[in-house]
Amino acid sequence: MGLTDTIRLTEILLSIALIQQSLEHVFGLPDERLHYAVRLGLSLLLLLGIQPQWVCVALFVNALFVINRFQGPYNGGSDLLSSLLIFCLGLAHWMPSPQWQEYVFGYLALQVVFSYFKSGWAKVVHRDWRTGRALRDVFAFSAYPVSEATRGWAARPGALWAMSWGVILFELLFPLALLSQMAVLAGLAVAFGFHIANFVLFGFNRFVWVWLAAFPSVVWLQARIVPAW
Amino acid sequence: MKALKLFLPALFPSWRFFDVIAPSPRIDLALIGHPEAECSVWRECRPRPTRIRLRDIPRRLFWNAAWNETLYLATCAERLLQNPTDHSSREIRRRVRADVLGDAGDRAVQPYFRFRLVFVSRHDGRLRRDVAFVSPAYRCIDPLDRWA
Repeated sequence: MGLTDTIRLTEILLSIALIQQSLEHVFGLPDERLHYAVRLGLSLLLLLGIQPQWVCVALFVNALFVINRFQGPYNGGSDLLSSLLIFCLGLAHWMPSPQWQEYVFGYLALQVVFSYFKSGWAKVVHRDWRTGRALRDVFAFSAYPVSEATRGWAARPGALWAMSWGVILFELLFPLALLSQMAVLAGLAVAFGFHIANFVLFGFNRFVWVWLAAFPSVVWLQARIVPAW
Repeated sequence: MKALKLFLPALFPSWRFFDVIAPSPRIDLALIGHPEAECSVWRECRPRPTRIRLRDIPRRLFWNAAWNETLYLATCAERLLQNPTDHSSREIRRRVRADVLGDAGDRAVQPYFRFRLVFVSRHDGRLRRDVAFVSPAYRCIDPLDRWA
Protein backbone atom coordinates (compact mmCIF):
# COMPACT_ATOMS: atom_id res chain seq x y z
CA MET A 1 0.00 0.00 0.00
CA GLY A 2 1.48 3.33 -1.08
CA LEU A 3 1.53 6.41 1.09
CA THR A 4 -1.28 8.14 -0.86
CA ASP A 5 -3.58 5.14 -0.34
CA THR A 6 -2.52 4.90 3.31
CA ILE A 7 -3.41 8.55 3.90
CA ARG A 8 -6.80 8.11 2.21
CA LEU A 9 -7.60 4.92 4.15
CA THR A 10 -6.60 6.65 7.40
CA GLU A 11 -8.91 9.56 6.52
CA ILE A 12 -11.83 7.21 5.94
CA LEU A 13 -11.30 5.21 9.15
CA LEU A 14 -10.65 8.33 11.22
CA SER A 15 -13.78 10.03 9.92
CA ILE A 16 -15.83 6.96 10.95
CA ALA A 17 -14.26 7.11 14.43
CA LEU A 18 -14.95 10.86 14.71
CA ILE A 19 -18.54 10.45 13.51
CA GLN A 20 -19.08 7.76 16.15
CA GLN A 21 -17.64 10.02 18.88
CA SER A 22 -19.63 13.04 17.73
CA LEU A 23 -22.95 11.20 17.68
CA GLU A 24 -22.41 10.16 21.30
CA HIS A 25 -22.48 13.85 22.26
CA VAL A 26 -25.79 14.57 20.54
CA PHE A 27 -27.56 14.38 23.91
CA GLY A 28 -24.67 15.90 25.88
CA LEU A 29 -24.66 19.25 27.65
CA PRO A 30 -25.65 22.16 25.36
CA ASP A 31 -22.21 23.76 25.26
CA GLU A 32 -20.51 20.60 24.01
CA ARG A 33 -23.10 19.83 21.31
CA LEU A 34 -21.92 22.69 19.09
CA HIS A 35 -18.30 21.48 19.04
CA TYR A 36 -19.37 17.96 18.13
CA ALA A 37 -21.89 19.13 15.55
CA VAL A 38 -19.02 20.93 13.82
CA ARG A 39 -16.84 17.83 14.16
CA LEU A 40 -19.62 15.69 12.70
CA GLY A 41 -19.95 17.92 9.62
CA LEU A 42 -16.19 18.05 9.07
CA SER A 43 -15.89 14.28 9.49
CA LEU A 44 -18.51 13.73 6.80
CA LEU A 45 -16.50 15.96 4.43
CA LEU A 46 -13.35 14.00 5.28
CA LEU A 47 -15.16 10.72 4.65
CA LEU A 48 -16.19 11.96 1.22
CA GLY A 49 -12.68 13.21 0.49
CA ILE A 50 -13.77 16.82 -0.09
CA GLN A 51 -10.85 19.26 0.36
CA PRO A 52 -9.17 17.01 2.97
CA GLN A 53 -6.22 19.38 3.45
CA TRP A 54 -8.52 22.20 4.62
CA VAL A 55 -10.88 19.86 6.47
CA CYS A 56 -7.94 18.54 8.51
CA VAL A 57 -6.94 22.09 9.45
CA ALA A 58 -10.53 22.78 10.53
CA LEU A 59 -10.61 19.51 12.50
CA PHE A 60 -7.39 20.55 14.24
CA VAL A 61 -8.95 23.88 15.29
CA ASN A 62 -12.08 21.98 16.39
CA ALA A 63 -9.87 19.60 18.44
CA LEU A 64 -8.37 22.64 20.21
CA PHE A 65 -11.87 23.87 21.11
CA VAL A 66 -12.89 20.41 22.35
CA ILE A 67 -9.78 19.93 24.48
CA ASN A 68 -10.24 23.44 25.89
CA ARG A 69 -13.92 22.73 26.63
CA PHE A 70 -13.05 19.67 28.71
CA GLN A 71 -9.71 21.07 29.97
CA GLY A 72 -8.01 17.92 28.71
CA PRO A 73 -9.10 14.71 27.03
CA TYR A 74 -12.74 13.64 27.50
CA ASN A 75 -12.07 10.00 26.86
CA GLY A 76 -8.39 9.54 27.79
CA GLY A 77 -6.17 7.76 25.28
CA SER A 78 -8.79 7.60 22.54
CA ASP A 79 -8.96 11.40 22.47
CA LEU A 80 -5.17 11.63 22.47
CA LEU A 81 -4.84 9.32 19.47
CA SER A 82 -7.74 11.05 17.67
CA SER A 83 -5.93 14.36 18.08
CA LEU A 84 -2.61 12.88 16.96
CA LEU A 85 -4.26 11.39 13.87
CA ILE A 86 -5.92 14.71 12.99
CA PHE A 87 -2.62 16.55 13.45
CA CYS A 88 -0.55 14.09 11.41
CA LEU A 89 -3.09 13.90 8.57
CA GLY A 90 -3.26 17.69 8.40
CA LEU A 91 0.52 18.02 8.51
CA ALA A 92 0.98 15.33 5.83
CA HIS A 93 -1.31 17.23 3.46
CA TRP A 94 0.67 20.44 3.85
CA MET A 95 4.15 18.94 3.57
CA PRO A 96 6.20 20.21 0.61
CA SER A 97 7.25 16.76 -0.67
CA PRO A 98 6.33 13.06 -0.40
CA GLN A 99 9.50 12.49 1.60
CA TRP A 100 8.29 14.85 4.34
CA GLN A 101 4.89 13.15 4.25
CA GLU A 102 6.72 9.89 4.94
CA TYR A 103 8.40 11.41 7.99
CA VAL A 104 5.02 12.51 9.35
CA PHE A 105 3.34 9.15 8.82
CA GLY A 106 6.43 7.36 10.12
CA TYR A 107 6.10 9.34 13.33
CA LEU A 108 2.41 8.44 13.58
CA ALA A 109 3.09 4.73 13.02
CA LEU A 110 5.90 4.72 15.59
CA GLN A 111 3.60 6.34 18.14
CA VAL A 112 1.08 3.54 17.54
CA VAL A 113 3.81 0.94 18.09
CA PHE A 114 4.93 2.81 21.24
CA SER A 115 1.32 2.92 22.49
CA TYR A 116 1.60 -0.83 22.99
CA PHE A 117 5.29 -1.18 23.84
CA LYS A 118 5.45 1.62 26.41
CA SER A 119 2.27 0.39 28.08
CA GLY A 120 3.78 -3.08 28.33
CA TRP A 121 7.02 -1.70 29.74
CA ALA A 122 5.16 0.44 32.29
CA LYS A 123 3.41 -2.73 33.47
CA VAL A 124 6.28 -5.22 33.52
CA VAL A 125 8.43 -3.03 35.79
CA HIS A 126 5.71 -3.17 38.47
CA ARG A 127 5.61 -6.22 40.72
CA ASP A 128 1.82 -5.94 41.09
CA TRP A 129 1.44 -6.47 37.35
CA ARG A 130 3.85 -9.42 37.27
CA THR A 131 1.93 -11.16 40.05
CA GLY A 132 -1.52 -10.42 38.60
CA ARG A 133 -2.40 -8.25 41.61
CA ALA A 134 -2.78 -5.06 39.55
CA LEU A 135 -5.33 -6.60 37.19
CA ARG A 136 -7.16 -8.00 40.22
CA ASP A 137 -7.40 -4.45 41.56
CA VAL A 138 -8.63 -3.20 38.18
CA PHE A 139 -11.54 -5.61 38.40
CA ALA A 140 -12.05 -5.31 42.18
CA PHE A 141 -12.31 -1.56 42.65
CA SER A 142 -11.35 0.53 39.62
CA ALA A 143 -14.01 2.60 37.87
CA TYR A 144 -13.71 0.60 34.64
CA PRO A 145 -15.56 -2.77 34.87
CA VAL A 146 -18.83 -2.34 32.99
CA SER A 147 -20.98 -4.42 35.35
CA GLU A 148 -20.97 -6.06 38.78
CA ALA A 149 -20.72 -9.41 36.98
CA THR A 150 -17.49 -8.20 35.33
CA ARG A 151 -16.16 -7.30 38.79
CA GLY A 152 -16.50 -11.01 39.58
CA TRP A 153 -13.29 -11.60 37.60
CA ALA A 154 -11.42 -10.23 40.63
CA ALA A 155 -12.10 -13.57 42.35
CA ARG A 156 -10.15 -15.53 39.69
CA PRO A 157 -6.47 -14.90 40.53
CA GLY A 158 -5.14 -17.67 38.30
CA ALA A 159 -6.98 -16.40 35.24
CA LEU A 160 -5.93 -12.82 36.01
CA TRP A 161 -2.26 -13.82 36.34
CA ALA A 162 -2.48 -15.42 32.89
CA MET A 163 -4.31 -12.40 31.49
CA SER A 164 -1.71 -10.03 32.97
CA TRP A 165 1.17 -11.87 31.33
CA GLY A 166 -0.81 -12.21 28.11
CA VAL A 167 -1.26 -8.44 27.97
CA ILE A 168 2.33 -7.67 29.02
CA LEU A 169 3.86 -10.05 26.44
CA PHE A 170 1.57 -8.86 23.65
CA GLU A 171 2.39 -5.21 24.35
CA LEU A 172 6.15 -5.72 24.74
CA LEU A 173 6.43 -7.93 21.65
CA PHE A 174 4.29 -5.72 19.41
CA PRO A 175 7.31 -3.96 17.78
CA LEU A 176 8.27 -7.34 16.30
CA ALA A 177 5.23 -6.90 14.05
CA LEU A 178 7.40 -4.60 11.94
CA LEU A 179 9.63 -7.52 10.91
CA SER A 180 7.46 -8.88 8.11
CA GLN A 181 4.15 -8.42 6.33
CA MET A 182 2.74 -11.58 7.94
CA ALA A 183 3.91 -10.41 11.35
CA VAL A 184 2.29 -7.00 11.01
CA LEU A 185 -1.04 -8.46 9.93
CA ALA A 186 -0.94 -10.99 12.77
CA GLY A 187 0.11 -8.33 15.28
CA LEU A 188 -2.69 -5.99 14.26
CA ALA A 189 -5.23 -8.84 14.37
CA VAL A 190 -4.19 -9.60 17.96
CA ALA A 191 -4.27 -5.87 18.75
CA PHE A 192 -7.80 -5.60 17.39
CA GLY A 193 -8.86 -8.55 19.57
CA PHE A 194 -7.19 -6.83 22.55
CA HIS A 195 -9.21 -3.65 21.95
CA ILE A 196 -12.43 -5.66 21.57
CA ALA A 197 -11.71 -7.38 24.91
CA ASN A 198 -11.12 -3.98 26.54
CA PHE A 199 -14.41 -2.82 25.10
CA VAL A 200 -16.37 -5.85 26.36
CA LEU A 201 -14.84 -5.71 29.86
CA PHE A 202 -14.37 -1.97 30.37
CA GLY A 203 -16.63 -0.34 27.79
CA PHE A 204 -13.80 1.37 25.88
CA ASN A 205 -15.66 1.45 22.55
CA ARG A 206 -13.98 4.60 21.22
CA PHE A 207 -10.53 3.00 21.52
CA VAL A 208 -11.57 0.27 19.07
CA TRP A 209 -12.48 2.76 16.33
CA VAL A 210 -9.57 5.15 16.86
CA TRP A 211 -6.82 2.53 17.03
CA LEU A 212 -8.31 0.83 13.96
CA ALA A 213 -7.91 4.16 12.15
CA ALA A 214 -4.21 4.18 13.03
CA PHE A 215 -3.51 0.63 11.80
CA PRO A 216 -2.94 1.54 8.10
CA SER A 217 0.04 3.70 9.11
CA VAL A 218 1.67 0.68 10.81
CA VAL A 219 1.07 -1.53 7.73
CA TRP A 220 2.59 1.20 5.55
CA LEU A 221 5.64 1.69 7.82
CA GLN A 222 6.34 -2.05 7.89
CA ALA A 223 6.30 -2.21 4.08
CA ARG A 224 8.43 0.95 3.88
CA ILE A 225 11.21 -0.21 6.19
CA VAL A 226 11.17 -3.91 5.26
CA PRO A 227 10.11 -4.19 1.59
CA ALA A 228 8.69 -7.58 0.54
CA TRP A 229 11.54 -9.82 -0.58
CA MET B 1 -2.34 29.26 24.13
CA LYS B 2 -3.88 27.21 26.92
CA ALA B 3 -5.61 24.96 24.39
CA LEU B 4 -2.30 24.39 22.60
CA LYS B 5 -0.68 23.49 25.92
CA LEU B 6 -3.48 20.99 26.60
CA PHE B 7 -2.95 19.60 23.08
CA LEU B 8 0.77 18.87 23.57
CA PRO B 9 0.26 15.50 25.34
CA ALA B 10 -1.50 14.32 22.17
CA LEU B 11 1.59 15.08 20.08
CA PHE B 12 3.98 13.43 22.52
CA PRO B 13 1.84 10.88 24.37
CA SER B 14 3.23 9.00 27.36
CA TRP B 15 1.15 5.83 26.64
CA ARG B 16 1.21 4.51 30.21
CA PHE B 17 -2.17 2.81 30.41
CA PHE B 18 -3.02 1.17 33.75
CA ASP B 19 0.58 1.20 34.99
CA VAL B 20 -0.38 1.87 38.63
CA ILE B 21 -3.85 1.12 39.95
CA ALA B 22 -4.57 4.30 41.91
CA PRO B 23 -7.42 4.81 44.41
CA SER B 24 -10.59 4.87 42.38
CA PRO B 25 -13.23 7.57 42.70
CA ARG B 26 -16.96 7.11 43.26
CA ILE B 27 -19.43 9.98 43.26
CA ASP B 28 -22.26 9.87 45.79
CA LEU B 29 -25.13 12.32 45.97
CA ALA B 30 -27.62 13.34 48.64
CA LEU B 31 -30.81 15.35 48.30
CA ILE B 32 -31.56 17.88 51.05
CA GLY B 33 -34.32 20.29 51.98
CA HIS B 34 -32.21 23.35 52.69
CA PRO B 35 -28.58 24.34 52.14
CA GLU B 36 -27.42 23.80 55.75
CA ALA B 37 -29.13 20.42 56.21
CA GLU B 38 -27.02 17.40 57.20
CA CYS B 39 -26.78 14.71 54.55
CA SER B 40 -27.77 11.42 56.14
CA VAL B 41 -28.68 9.40 53.05
CA TRP B 42 -26.08 9.17 50.29
CA ARG B 43 -26.55 7.12 47.17
CA GLU B 44 -24.09 6.21 44.49
CA CYS B 45 -24.35 8.28 41.37
CA ARG B 46 -24.71 6.08 38.28
CA PRO B 47 -24.24 2.64 39.85
CA ARG B 48 -23.06 0.09 37.29
CA PRO B 49 -25.59 -2.52 36.13
CA THR B 50 -25.57 -6.03 37.56
CA ARG B 51 -24.73 -7.40 34.13
CA ILE B 52 -24.70 -6.38 30.47
CA ARG B 53 -26.88 -8.51 28.24
CA LEU B 54 -25.04 -10.20 25.38
CA ARG B 55 -27.36 -8.71 22.81
CA ASP B 56 -26.60 -5.17 24.05
CA ILE B 57 -22.83 -5.48 23.52
CA PRO B 58 -22.76 -4.87 19.72
CA ARG B 59 -24.91 -1.74 20.14
CA ARG B 60 -22.53 -0.38 22.79
CA LEU B 61 -19.66 -0.63 20.31
CA PHE B 62 -21.40 2.12 18.33
CA TRP B 63 -23.26 3.94 21.11
CA ASN B 64 -21.88 4.02 24.64
CA ALA B 65 -22.47 7.67 25.47
CA ALA B 66 -23.69 7.26 29.05
CA TRP B 67 -20.79 4.99 30.01
CA ASN B 68 -18.21 7.31 28.42
CA GLU B 69 -19.72 10.21 30.34
CA THR B 70 -19.47 8.17 33.55
CA LEU B 71 -15.77 7.58 32.84
CA TYR B 72 -15.35 11.32 32.25
CA LEU B 73 -16.98 11.98 35.63
CA ALA B 74 -14.36 9.71 37.23
CA THR B 75 -11.66 11.76 35.45
CA CYS B 76 -13.18 14.98 36.80
CA ALA B 77 -13.28 13.51 40.31
CA GLU B 78 -9.57 12.66 40.10
CA ARG B 79 -8.77 16.12 38.75
CA LEU B 80 -10.80 17.76 41.52
CA LEU B 81 -8.66 16.03 44.14
CA GLN B 82 -5.29 16.44 42.42
CA ASN B 83 -5.71 19.97 41.11
CA PRO B 84 -8.95 21.55 42.34
CA THR B 85 -10.54 23.85 39.79
CA ASP B 86 -14.03 25.20 39.37
CA HIS B 87 -14.15 23.47 35.96
CA SER B 88 -14.00 19.96 37.45
CA SER B 89 -16.52 20.79 40.16
CA ARG B 90 -18.87 22.38 37.63
CA GLU B 91 -18.62 19.44 35.23
CA ILE B 92 -19.59 17.03 38.03
CA ARG B 93 -22.41 19.11 39.49
CA ARG B 94 -24.03 19.82 36.11
CA ARG B 95 -24.14 16.13 35.28
CA VAL B 96 -25.28 15.12 38.77
CA ARG B 97 -28.00 17.76 38.55
CA ALA B 98 -29.12 16.40 35.16
CA ASP B 99 -29.26 12.89 36.70
CA VAL B 100 -31.31 14.11 39.69
CA LEU B 101 -33.83 15.87 37.47
CA GLY B 102 -33.91 12.97 35.01
CA ASP B 103 -34.58 10.44 37.81
CA ALA B 104 -37.28 12.64 39.34
CA GLY B 105 -39.28 12.99 36.14
CA ASP B 106 -42.55 14.75 37.00
CA ARG B 107 -42.21 14.04 40.73
CA ALA B 108 -41.34 16.81 43.17
CA VAL B 109 -37.67 16.81 44.07
CA GLN B 110 -35.81 18.16 47.10
CA PRO B 111 -34.57 21.68 46.32
CA TYR B 112 -30.86 21.07 47.00
CA PHE B 113 -28.21 18.39 46.57
CA ARG B 114 -24.62 17.78 47.56
CA PHE B 115 -22.15 15.38 45.99
CA ARG B 116 -19.16 13.75 47.61
CA LEU B 117 -16.13 11.93 46.29
CA VAL B 118 -15.30 8.57 47.83
CA PHE B 119 -12.01 6.95 46.89
CA VAL B 120 -11.76 3.16 47.00
CA SER B 121 -8.33 1.59 47.41
CA ARG B 122 -6.63 -1.53 48.71
CA HIS B 123 -4.96 -1.15 52.10
CA ASP B 124 -3.37 -4.09 53.95
CA GLY B 125 -5.14 -6.49 51.62
CA ARG B 126 -8.60 -5.03 52.20
CA LEU B 127 -10.67 -2.55 50.27
CA ARG B 128 -11.26 0.73 52.05
CA ARG B 129 -13.41 3.72 51.20
CA ASP B 130 -12.34 7.25 52.12
CA VAL B 131 -14.50 10.32 51.74
CA ALA B 132 -12.15 12.87 50.19
CA PHE B 133 -14.46 15.74 49.31
CA VAL B 134 -17.97 16.94 50.13
CA SER B 135 -19.41 19.67 47.95
CA PRO B 136 -21.39 22.71 49.06
CA ALA B 137 -25.15 22.51 48.59
CA TYR B 138 -26.35 23.28 45.07
CA ARG B 139 -29.85 23.98 43.80
CA CYS B 140 -31.44 21.08 41.94
CA ILE B 141 -33.04 23.55 39.55
CA ASP B 142 -30.72 26.32 38.46
CA PRO B 143 -31.64 28.38 35.37
CA LEU B 144 -28.00 29.46 35.04
CA ASP B 145 -26.89 25.84 34.72
CA ARG B 146 -27.70 25.65 31.02
CA TRP B 147 -24.50 27.39 29.98
CA ALA B 148 -22.68 27.87 33.30
